Amino acid sequence: MAKNILLVDDSSTMRKIITRSLRQAGLDFGEIFEASDGQEALDVLEKEHVDIVLSDINMPNMNGIEFLREKANRDAIKDIPVFMISTETGDDIIGEAKSLGAVGALKKPFTPDKVSEVLGPLV
Amino acid sequence: MEIFETMVFIPLQPGERHMGSDIDMGADLASCIGLAGDIRGLIGVHCPLGVATGITGAMLGLEVDEIDDDVKDAIGEIANMIAGGVKVGLAGNNKDIQLAVPTTVCGKSLRIGGPARGSSVVIPFTVDAGTFYVEMRYMLS
Repeated sequence: MAKNILLVDDSSTMRKIITRSLRQAGLDFGEIFEASDGQEALDVLEKEHVDIVLSDINMPNMNGIEFLREKANRDAIKDIPVFMISTETGDDIIGEAKSLGAVGALKKPFTPDKVSEVLGPLV
Repeated sequence: MEIFETMVFIPLQPGERHMGSDIDMGADLASCIGLAGDIRGLIGVHCPLGVATGITGAMLGLEVDEIDDDVKDAIGEIANMIAGGVKVGLAGNNKDIQLAVPTTVCGKSLRIGGPARGSSVVIPFTVDAGTFYVEMRYMLS
């Protein structure tokens, strides 16, 4: 069954580009939900059936690290895998994200081929 | 260059680096990201109208002819990716910086202020629609 994806990024442009890249990568996915910060993402996860979250780190209101920390405290959604897509892919911040449950990271900018390579096994 | 090759898909020609902020960038839109930590200042992307709409149209695969929310957001994301690259590069030199979220402003012949005693470097980049500028204003903490 095709997986539903939640895109979390404060940039609507980046959400459109990620959606296009997923399609160009030929990945089989279901519905795509969108959120512009961590708080909106939590709200979507509580309401919708989401299989995978792709999240930016540097966002206003609630950033990607705060989102992971809050999500980990909510039993109903804590096991949904989160993949970070960010310009910030230094070892320290990605290490912190992984310690909070992130399953991987993709650096911006990226190509559709790279999206297929890293997200294919998840989708 | 990597950003334009992978996500904007239009050819880009870098120009001569200019030290100092005494350059007329002719910008109608500027996206800036504040830097904090070991280096304080900002990274800015300064675009005339035609370049900003051209870059946005290429990124989104749409015809764009005026500055709207998509244009502000797209140029902000370009600034974000440039700043992310700078952060990673500086981390390799044991400099830790934090990035703010992008702020985009529009207007005629914009000029952006920065740290009063800081340094400034500006690099022009030319695309078919014209020239835009990437500026870094900075001072060591």
